[in-house]
Amino acid sequence: MAYQDGYLSDLVGRSAVLPNGTTIGRVTDFVVGKPDDAFPRIDGFVIKTKAGQRYSPIAQIGSIEPHGTVTLTVAPEAEPAAEEQALYLIKDLFDKQIVDVDGRKVVRINDLEIANTGGTLRVVAADIGVSGLLRRLGVGRVAPQVLERVPRSLIAWDNVAPLTDVNPSQVQLSVSGSRLSRLHPSDLAEIITDLSAQDAARVVKSLDDETAADAFEHLDSDTQKTLIDDIGTERAADIVSEMDSDDAADLLGELDADQRAELLSQMDDKAYAGELSELVQYEPDTAGGLMTTDYVWIYPHRTTAATIAKLREIAPESEFIYYLYVTDPNRKLLGVISVRKLLLALPTAFIHKLMDVDLVSVSPDVSAEDVASTIARYDLLAVPVLDEEGRVLGIVTVDDAIDAIIPEKIAHSLPRFTRHHKKNPVAAG
Amino acid sequence: MLPADPIPGAVVERFPPGRRSRFVRTALLVAGILGPGFITASAGNDVGGIATYSLAGAQFGYRILWTLIPITIALIVVQEMAARMGVVSGKGLAALIREEFGVRIALVTMLGLFVMNTFTTSAEFAGIASASEIFHLSRYIAVPLALVLVFLFVLRFNDKIVERTFVVLSLIYVTYIFSGIEAHPNWGEVARGTLLPTLDLKDPAYIGMIVGLIGTTISPYMQFYLQTAVVEQGARPGGLLGTRIDVINGSILGIVVAAFMIIANAATIYVFNQAHPQHPIVIAQAADVAKALEPLAGRFAETLFAFGILNAGLFTATVLPLSTAYLICEAMGFEASVSRKFSEAPVFFSLFFAGLVIGAALVLIPGVPLLKVAFYSQVLQGLLLPFELVLMLIIINRIRVMGKHRNSLAANIVGWSTVIIVGAIALFYTAQQIQSGGS
Repeated sequence: MAYQDGYLSDLVGRSAVLPNGTTIGRVTDFVVGKPDDAFPRIDGFVIKTKAGQRYSPIAQIGSIEPHGTVTLTVAPEAEPAAEEQALYLIKDLFDKQIVDVDGRKVVRINDLEIANTGGTLRVVAADIGVSGLLRRLGVGRVAPQVLERVPRSLIAWDNVAPLTDVNPSQVQLSVSGSRLSRLHPSDLAEIITDLSAQDAARVVKSLDDETAADAFEHLDSDTQKTLIDDIGTERAADIVSEMDSDDAADLLGELDADQRAELLSQMDDKAYAGELSELVQYEPDTAGGLMTTDYVWIYPHRTTAATIAKLREIAPESEFIYYLYVTDPNRKLLGVISVRKLLLALPTAFIHKLMDVDLVSVSPDVSAEDVASTIARYDLLAVPVLDEEGRVLGIVTVDDAIDAIIPEKIAHSLPRFTRHHKKNPVAAG
Repeated sequence: MLPADPIPGAVVERFPPGRRSRFVRTALLVAGILGPGFITASAGNDVGGIATYSLAGAQFGYRILWTLIPITIALIVVQEMAARMGVVSGKGLAALIREEFGVRIALVTMLGLFVMNTFTTSAEFAGIASASEIFHLSRYIAVPLALVLVFLFVLRFNDKIVERTFVVLSLIYVTYIFSGIEAHPNWGEVARGTLLPTLDLKDPAYIGMIVGLIGTTISPYMQFYLQTAVVEQGARPGGLLGTRIDVINGSILGIVVAAFMIIANAATIYVFNQAHPQHPIVIAQAADVAKALEPLAGRFAETLFAFGILNAGLFTATVLPLSTAYLICEAMGFEASVSRKFSEAPVFFSLFFAGLVIGAALVLIPGVPLLKVAFYSQVLQGLLLPFELVLMLIIINRIRVMGKHRNSLAANIVGWSTVIIVGAIALFYTAQQIQSGGS
């Protein structure tokens, strides 16, 4: 089949003729059977004839004249597949919103670029720019030189995550999900915030639990709440299980009591659920509310070599490993040792000889400001939170303490890397 | 290994949430009750609306009040459709028009919306100019001041604050009710005028006024604004009832405010003109009403009315250019948010600045006929409304957009008849305006 690369807007609406020259209708749409491919193949054309919609498989497309007619080898007989069985490029994608994974934003498809690769037509890119709009408006036919001057903006199709529920029977969004998981969690959260509630829920459903949890940690509480309503507590429980305890507790604290109980009861990790329900009790702006239970504790009578070996084993699971907290079996805090000190010490040295016993700690009801000033005064990366008996409840890390005291406006103007724990992505509209 | 001793997992009730203070919570609650429906209805009572309602009261007295009842029904039907589309699809009307009808129809609609809303913005600034002249402030100071105020307001604060401020500004519309009471109307006459329809078919001015009232009460940008606001609010199909109640409340409250504007003018200017047919008070624009009220209803009524015009002007001059820029970007696929930098959303900010600055500049150019500008904005509105309503009705009947929430047969009958009547009247009004504008 002779066809040069081009745009779909240029193909749609063309007359379909038989080899003997009789016109039988117009090309109205294009069918893709496997939308999950990186560059999906067009399997056939939809022709609108006097008798109704007909389907012409690609093998029956004889030739496509440049700016002319589409010649079919035989008259199409079959009716096109039902809407939910296949992806219809015009009906399902033209003018619809997609996520540009590379550019990290939600955009609208103005046109689709297709290429002839070894005899098959494939969708290669989405046109999201002004030139696509102008082409759709027919500027190309009236004033082609204008169209050529407008810079193009195309997104390669393997960077496109469609949002429309195009093919529910084939779990179509798995492809969107895997493409979206390439985004930084805070960018993904910002995109989710930009979407309509329905699209946002659909996107979250398509993500794996871990990616969804990372994104959730960066969402504001209103968005979190509406999403949980939309995806259901069962899925939400899976996502919360993967979240850091401080963020998970913040989220749970915003839910009403019934919903929270339901969500916690549906978590598979009962120990973590118990921990979270404990954390939820603390006021958000106190050490208890800020702390995470994700810290590393070690025994005093081990050697540095044994401890380092142990650390190597658990570090991938743990967010904060720069301070190791030395405790007795009851979790009573005995001392603290930094990773730096651990690495510089002799392998045979014992922890209890090395550890710092001049302890700085806070109680769970201390205000966020006081936690932050404690961390600042002693130049710490984290401060442990102890109960009345001196047992470790959790730790507050420096970034969470800063987040809690910096007004939102300033937090936004800080460089991106300082916003790792940003709680309120920019709202749309 | 992590400290994994399971802490006994009882779910304990949390202490009263402390992140937000009680005051803020209460404010949010009020804003929640006075939802998008209320804000939209308030935005509908703009400077042009004040002029029309005042004129209606001043020329025809209480006997025109009954028309507000059918107008309310039509307004509720149209606004409910917009809100339902927002709730079910999760998309704004501009986005839906683009997705369902393609680039061309979307572009035509958006161009019409931009021109219409820019002219209307200009009418708002004209209101600001004439109202501030009542307070002895030159328009060459007042209009630039208002422009800067709108700029700062939109660009300096985040979306949430802007929205809450709109709610508070909407509440100021209640002052018209006080103006109406202050004018000491004859309540018996008010009741009769509201409940007894009188239709004088021989009086073209009377018919023209009814048409004008419909035209100014149901304007296209209200459906666009409401649907976007409902989507932004995150309403769900499950909460459709709440959204409907909000829309009905908002529409009724908006019309009650309009009714009191008519009453205030009927009780003062109309009554005065009946008593003094030789030297009648002539009302040409909104600020004339405030001036006319001073000797009749006292300094307080004048100040309230002038303040109301200022508020309406500022409110709508902010809402219109902002929402227009947002809608166009929504339909055409450009980045749109006031929280972005200019370089991140250049089209959005350019459209916003253009709408605002052109709107304000038209008022300041000496010799620009402001009444003509207001007139052309009305004409465009009249042409766009039927077009937009038909698009809405087509979309709201599509299964793939609305699912089980698409219009029922009964809703379609009510919807189409409203659309045909309102559309026909809008076209008639427009034709009439063109005729009178041409003479």
